[in-house]
Amino acid sequence: MIVVKDLVRQFKSGDRTIKPVNGVSFELDKGSLASIVGKSGSGKSTLLSLLGALDKPTSGDVVVDGVSLAGLPDGKLTEYRRRDIGFVFQQFNLIPNLSAVDNVMLPMEFSGIRKAARLQRAKELLEQVQLDPEKHSRRTNRLSGGEQQRVAIARALANEPKLILADEPTGNLDEQTGGHIIELLSSLSRDHNTTILVVTHDRSLAQKTQRCFRLQQGRLTEEVRTGSRR
Amino acid sequence: MSVLARSVGNAFRNKIRTAAVVAVLALAIGLALAMLVANQAVGAKIQELNASVGTTLTVNPAGGQGFEGGGEPLTTAEAETAASVANVTSVVGTKALRVQTATTATSNSDSATGATQQTGPGGGFGPAGQQATVTTNLTAAVDAGTLGNRNNASGNTGSQATRTLPITATGIGAEVDSTGKALEITNGTGLGDYTASEAKALMGTSLAEKNGLTVGSTFTIQDKTFTVAGIFDAGTTFGNNAVYVTLPEAQTLAETPDELSTMIVTVNSMENVDSTKTAVQDALGTDKADVTQGQRNLETAVNSLDSVKNISMIAFIAALATAGIIILLIMVMLVRERRREIGVLKAIGARNRTIGLQFVLESLVLVALGSVVGAVIASLASGGIASALVSSNTTTTAATTQRGGGLAGTTPNGTVPGGGMPGGGLSGDGQGGPFGGASQLLTSVTANVSPGVLAAGIAAVFTVAIIGALVPALLTARIRPIEVLRGE
Repeated sequence: MIVVKDLVRQFKSGDRTIKPVNGVSFELDKGSLASIVGKSGSGKSTLLSLLGALDKPTSGDVVVDGVSLAGLPDGKLTEYRRRDIGFVFQQFNLIPNLSAVDNVMLPMEFSGIRKAARLQRAKELLEQVQLDPEKHSRRTNRLSGGEQQRVAIARALANEPKLILADEPTGNLDEQTGGHIIELLSSLSRDHNTTILVVTHDRSLAQKTQRCFRLQQGRLTEEVRTGSRR
Repeated sequence: MSVLARSVGNAFRNKIRTAAVVAVLALAIGLALAMLVANQAVGAKIQELNASVGTTLTVNPAGGQGFEGGGEPLTTAEAETAASVANVTSVVGTKALRVQTATTATSNSDSATGATQQTGPGGGFGPAGQQATVTTNLTAAVDAGTLGNRNNASGNTGSQATRTLPITATGIGAEVDSTGKALEITNGTGLGDYTASEAKALMGTSLAEKNGLTVGSTFTIQDKTFTVAGIFDAGTTFGNNAVYVTLPEAQTLAETPDELSTMIVTVNSMENVDSTKTAVQDALGTDKADVTQGQRNLETAVNSLDSVKNISMIAFIAALATAGIIILLIMVMLVRERRREIGVLKAIGARNRTIGLQFVLESLVLVALGSVVGAVIASLASGGIASALVSSNTTTTAATTQRGGGLAGTTPNGTVPGGGMPGGGLSGDGQGGPFGGASQLLTSVTANVSPGVLAAGIAAVFTVAIIGALVPALLTARIRPIEVLRGE
């Protein structure tokens, strides 16, 4: 379970203080698929970076399965990202000179998993995200956008994280490919019982998630749904 | 994929840039290695020069120098006095003998009208009154030739058309030649105890060949039979027309049991030569002995080589530092270029040390490639660089050194041709004195790229590269994982 408590992140910009995240609180159940929508610059990515321990909040806390991130040293936050978080980015952020399978193996290498085991798991994950096996050994900079995003999702799943944070995962993809990616995330959330939080400005994509939050001027509100979309 | 494999892959990510970086690194590393090789070569040359001449002082009787003067002979007691002086490591006494073929000795003696015939140690003429003429069944390996007969004509009233030259015979107190340089025995053994009287001799190669003698053969001096214990090669025709016996044996043959022709005093280091020379002179007395310092000119040459050695070491360090700075700048550039990628690695759980190690290894891959090419450059260039450094720094010294060489030999009594008369009383060797070849020595520095020097140089390069790469590697720790979201 993910619990976010009164999260604030503020920056100084000259004489002004900017609060892209201003007192955000919400809870997500294990295995849920949720989305955060908002305009560009509304603080979506900042909120995501706080949840993923890429950045530290000015105040407030994120509690993952009872473990508070507030006050954790950098080493522990690294461990948290490695063990509990999977990231999927709009621009994929794969290592371009590594193959698809090598990219997926990276988080497992950082976790100290033996090579044979991580190779096997990487191949399984790439099959799960439906990447053509012939492309497993291909460098990721020679894959299409949709294929790269599949590799990125496989990489996010590598260490069986508790939470997958996806920042505009379909932003660089055409509508059809984007739809496939969302279906993929949805099925993975179901199959792996992994909590997935998708940040997007695409309302149609947000409609496909169980819960949808709107971030506006740093404040989060949940849109009420009549039923589950899963 | 391991960190190492990823680092190797990253090093070749941009092949054109990698080639350019390796080329620049190779030049710096090649220069560093070439300078190290030159440094080692010059260092070896300095050792060789020191070893070839040594830190020796030569002691002659006061007032006796070459053919000139008189005075009292040196004694074994004075050798003991010299040995007790501070910084003196050894004193070797020599006793020069003039050995004439039996029939020639008789005729020369007749024609010389009673003049004392003198030979200096090692072939040159020594101080007056120090040499005893003894006879032998050996025939000299050097023909008189024009010089021998001219010298004879100028120094004698005799009218022999041709003469048989004398043989240089020296009693020595250690296995060194009359200049203090170790004898190079090419066949057989040394004489063992050089302080004991024993009927054994070391014979020069040309003299042995001329007389058909080998190790174990016998010959006579003053009717006493000597066995050839070893054959030595002095490196010169004149030097090889010589016989060495033990010091007591020579003193017995000359019937001057307590006398020495010269003493070779070895000092513990070149820095102490000047002070020790003064101390020995004071200990023996200026009225008893003349102490000469043969290596003064060579010291100038060695100082010059020392400066070359220092220059090459400075250049080595500078080239090494350049390689380190190149690595530093390249890796800083790469870290800046890959901030986002580093952010990604951190976002997916990479530790700072893992990322830092990856960048250090990547730099070492570049350095390894640069070292291979640099080693090739060094092997091709080090000889030329060493020669250029030496020749540009020793031209003046070499000229000075040549002027400081031994004087051309003259023969008042005309019996011994060819041998030079060094100003310091050291023996002539037919090449203008013992230091006459210093200029050749200086300009013949051979820079060999030995595996040991190469390994040491490359180890230094890698050490500097690691230091150079550590700074950018530490910079990666400062990059925050949120960089990954920059531009999203």
